[in-house]
Amino acid sequence: MPSLSLGIDIGGTFTDLVLHDPAHISSGSLKVLTTHADPVLGILEGTKRLLGESGANAAEIGRVVHATTLFTNALIERKGARTALLTTEGFSDILQIGRERRYELYDLQLTPPAPLVPAKLRLEVPERVKADGTVLRALDMEALDAAAQQAIDGGAESVAILFLHSDLHPEHERRAAERLAEKFPQLSVTASHTIVREVREYERGSTATANAYVAPMAGRYLARLSGELAGLRIDAPLLLMLSNGGLTHVEEAQRAPVQLLESGPAAGALAAAHLAGPSEPRILAFDMGGTTAKLSVVEHGEPEIVFGFEAARQARFIEGSGLPIRISAVDLMEIGAGGGSIARRDAIGLLKVGPDSAGSEPGPACYGRGGTAPTVTDANLLLGYLDPTRFAGGSLPLDRAAAEAAMDRLAQSLGITRDAAAWGIHDVVTEAMAGAARTHLAERGRDASGFTLVCTGGGGPVHGYHLARKLGIKRMVIPPEAGVASAFGLLTAPPRVDRVATLGRRLMAWSAPELEAAFAALEADAKAVLERGGFAEGASSERIVDARCVGQGAHMPVILPPGPWPADDDALHALIATAFQAAYLARFRRPPPNVPIDLVHARVVLRGAKAATELAAARFGETTGAGEREILADGISGMARIHDRDGLRPGFTASGPALVEEAGSTLVVGPKGRFTVLDSGNILVEIG
Amino acid sequence: MALDPVKLELVWTRLISAVDEAAKAIVRTSFSTLSNEANDFACVLTDAQGRSLAQNTGSIPSFIGTLPATVRAICARVAPAEMRAGDIYITNNPWIGTGHLNDVCLVRPVFHGGRIVAFGATTSHVPDIGGRIRSTEARELFEEGFHIPPMRLLREGVADATLITLLRTNIRTPDQTEGDIWAQAAAVTLIGDRVVATLEDHGLADLTEVGDEIFDRSEIAMRERLRSIPDGTYRHAFETDGLDRPFHLQVAITAKDGDVLVDFAGSSPQQPRSVNCPFTYTRAMSWFVLKAMLLPELPSNDGIFRPIRIAAPEGSIVNPKEPASVGGRAATGHYVPVLIFGALAEALPDKVRAAPGSPLWMMSIAGRDAADQPFASTLFFNGGTGAGAAQDGVDSISWPSNISATPVEIAERTAPVLIHRKISRPGSGGTGRHAGGRGHETEVESEVDNMAAVFVTERMKFPAPGLFGGGAGAMGEVLIDGKPANTRQQQVLDRGTRVILRTPGGGGYGEPA
Repeated sequence: MPSLSLGIDIGGTFTDLVLHDPAHISSGSLKVLTTHADPVLGILEGTKRLLGESGANAAEIGRVVHATTLFTNALIERKGARTALLTTEGFSDILQIGRERRYELYDLQLTPPAPLVPAKLRLEVPERVKADGTVLRALDMEALDAAAQQAIDGGAESVAILFLHSDLHPEHERRAAERLAEKFPQLSVTASHTIVREVREYERGSTATANAYVAPMAGRYLARLSGELAGLRIDAPLLLMLSNGGLTHVEEAQRAPVQLLESGPAAGALAAAHLAGPSEPRILAFDMGGTTAKLSVVEHGEPEIVFGFEAARQARFIEGSGLPIRISAVDLMEIGAGGGSIARRDAIGLLKVGPDSAGSEPGPACYGRGGTAPTVTDANLLLGYLDPTRFAGGSLPLDRAAAEAAMDRLAQSLGITRDAAAWGIHDVVTEAMAGAARTHLAERGRDASGFTLVCTGGGGPVHGYHLARKLGIKRMVIPPEAGVASAFGLLTAPPRVDRVATLGRRLMAWSAPELEAAFAALEADAKAVLERGGFAEGASSERIVDARCVGQGAHMPVILPPGPWPADDDALHALIATAFQAAYLARFRRPPPNVPIDLVHARVVLRGAKAATELAAARFGETTGAGEREILADGISGMARIHDRDGLRPGFTASGPALVEEAGSTLVVGPKGRFTVLDSGNILVEIG
Repeated sequence: MALDPVKLELVWTRLISAVDEAAKAIVRTSFSTLSNEANDFACVLTDAQGRSLAQNTGSIPSFIGTLPATVRAICARVAPAEMRAGDIYITNNPWIGTGHLNDVCLVRPVFHGGRIVAFGATTSHVPDIGGRIRSTEARELFEEGFHIPPMRLLREGVADATLITLLRTNIRTPDQTEGDIWAQAAAVTLIGDRVVATLEDHGLADLTEVGDEIFDRSEIAMRERLRSIPDGTYRHAFETDGLDRPFHLQVAITAKDGDVLVDFAGSSPQQPRSVNCPFTYTRAMSWFVLKAMLLPELPSNDGIFRPIRIAAPEGSIVNPKEPASVGGRAATGHYVPVLIFGALAEALPDKVRAAPGSPLWMMSIAGRDAADQPFASTLFFNGGTGAGAAQDGVDSISWPSNISATPVEIAERTAPVLIHRKISRPGSGGTGRHAGGRGHETEVESEVDNMAAVFVTERMKFPAPGLFGGGAGAMGEVLIDGKPANTRQQQVLDRGTRVILRTPGGGGYGEPA
């Protein structure tokens, strides 16, 4: 019985691989450079090396789980397939016209995001179905053929179909898609209702178009990857991580690759939860890298999910400047704050940090690659948090003099000391993250102080202590060398299928059998996907309804009991109304007004059984001598003990100020903190 | 610890994030699609003197500076010494509030250490406020809805039941409108909680020092930018579609060493129709465009606007006297920034834009559907924006407001209409080195008899002009069954009647190459 699991996470710079052996609770991991021209090559190289190092046999691998940012990058860089859009006649400008809103009010030069489909490939087809399902105009098959031919002549490789009201009445879209598949097999075809059955033509069209845009690439890539893995004699099925942290099989991923856009961050959130372990049921995962910081909420191992997000925002981090994608995804707060974020004096002489980043070229001033602007990393160096000789495992010696020069220029322009400027940068950038977290949690009726902060990425352990202090968080967990954490997170995910359909009527207008049928149909559809992948056994279904008070603009997800439901209308109405009222109260802290309830969408989440993945026991080295260094924390300077993480054994405990160094990062523990090394290898920081 | 540039930044960021958080709470709970889809609301924090310290980031231009004025107006009627913790004050008076009755404003004093240290204030467009629905034919304010003078909504947390009963009795959607008011009450309370936490975390007794520092620094920065306008007086005037006759709008901007006076003297007198734009809205639009041109990056606050004085003769269309009707204030007010662009074109050629195809268009429909159920719905339509020195205008986008159009699928599911087409108008953007943005064409068919339709349209007689040799955008057109319609009068549509709305294009910039 093949028992090993292989996790593969392709990021912008590195491809991370993990090979886990649950029987012996051991795992090996490594990083290889992402091979952008052909990402499969990096995977193959890494897999061969990993097998070699662990002495395992390819045939022992029972499962391969994969996450990738390739498709997101294709959207951001506009490097997807040449795509056409076929719409109901009279509506070919839907993507161009968009929501008609500006994402930034004071920017007079604002330019909206360019549609993925150029004007000449936005084509119309005579057909029209009304909102009630009446066919006003039959689908004109000849015109459809002509439009498809025109798309092909214009170089299109892929086509999205967006007909009005197809969320309710998909017949025309379905027939059009079948016709194109039959007559133009060279085209990749995405009918909007097959990706998202929600009302609003622009959002549905944007999602379908994004899918069409990445589908040819995803199809080829996944087919090739499966084939090459088989060539290594890995017979195990290839599973793909979805944006919502679930898994699916290759066929479903090829059909709707738009579901994979956020697979990388989803794996990251799962990994944080897994590494923190079951003793930490409510975590705030905090990952800070070179250009951005990401925060996400994971409760009882389940990352918080949203049913829509924006891809490829052109004005970084500004809502509305990207392409709306209506699929379920891990709810991620991402802000432009990382090690490379540049600090400056703003128009009125205040200290601002980010979102402009020095990136890795030229990078922070202390990289000595020509950067002259002071960055967060420069500040952290001058605060004593970073050892200039050990940064990035010692591979990049930091130039303290360059950081000082950059900091002095800023300090002078602000009329403050160098130390005040360095501490100010650390403080301001951490406040930005705290602000995002506070708002995010408050919106969901939660209070930060009940959460444990799990810090990953190069910057997470450096900023975690101060972030926790700002949020009133008392516990912080730092997993050991979180370098390949995301790849590990992949192995902890259950198979998952999400399905949605428009309901669009008041609760009281539904009979119990009708509602049961609506959800059961989604469950049957989702179950077919799980069965296809062989993970239907032990699957559990969650029924969610998007609901609101009649007339309210925004709706909210309401989790309902699993089916089958009572067949009595009154009983089911009461059941749903009660769940709605409870959800409303929890979210808005007041009961809903006395207004009828409107059901917007039915959602089904079907999860397969979770693979048991126990963490490998941590390996501990010998204690090495610790030095000390002056640091500035909480605005006060003092001597901090320096610890080498590799040398700390379980049970070791010490008070701040302290620094715990490892190759990829440094944990900063301020004067009010005390840290303890746990058996798992995690470090727990308790803040007084 | 003195207020250095770091501490000031930290405190200010916290305060701004407090109003942003309150704004999100309103978006999620409000019944008005204008609030939750069009951001037609605002949250503001002022200091104890009613000077604006923070305004929510997405707040649309019509609310710039209006809520702080509301706070000051409330304080002028209720002495702050009489206020207690847990009080909330309310008004929708257009002269004190935002310029029309549909925006209900709430103000809550924030107490810390036993005294008022700040005010949290919100305004939100409620689903209904009574009166005639979206009619531009109202001759006086009394026809436009239920008028709440500045008064107390909550005394130490207890609601004024009389006021609530009166309000509920005078409006069509009592549950929804009242629900929205409680959502706002929650939002102003949240602002107060966050302010107190911020003061405690930073060891501050009040916001005076923080406020003074932000205001002074912002004033200096704005003055510096205003000096890029050479001393002198700059004038501009144009005609707008008007009613029987065009309206005349006029501005003179006098710049002198960083001080600016924007004077609308010479503009048409106020009208016995709801096209009047109360001064608070005129001023907001003026402040908006000057800030957008000169200091877009700085969060809105009282100091920015200190060097700018706005004047408009009382009794004019841009400063009507109570009880003028004001429901359609945007149809006049949206021209204000365009007037200022025109005046400053010579002085700031790289900052101004050619005229946009706005004000916002609306078509409000009401009647009974096939099942004899009443319906009422408003559809919004946007034109293209004007081109600038460095880029083309944008097709069909809201400006200076920020109101999304209703999706076709939603429109057809909420009212008995059939939309046959929504497509950009080729060639509708003004020609130029940079072309104006295009408007679009929508064709709407009524599926029932006796559908009442009221329109708000502009630029059907005077197109959006270009700048520096750029061409004008196409004029707007409204056709009913193929014939030009009188959009200043209510129309009755029967089953099968088709209305074509063609929104105006924006003006071009510079001679075409």
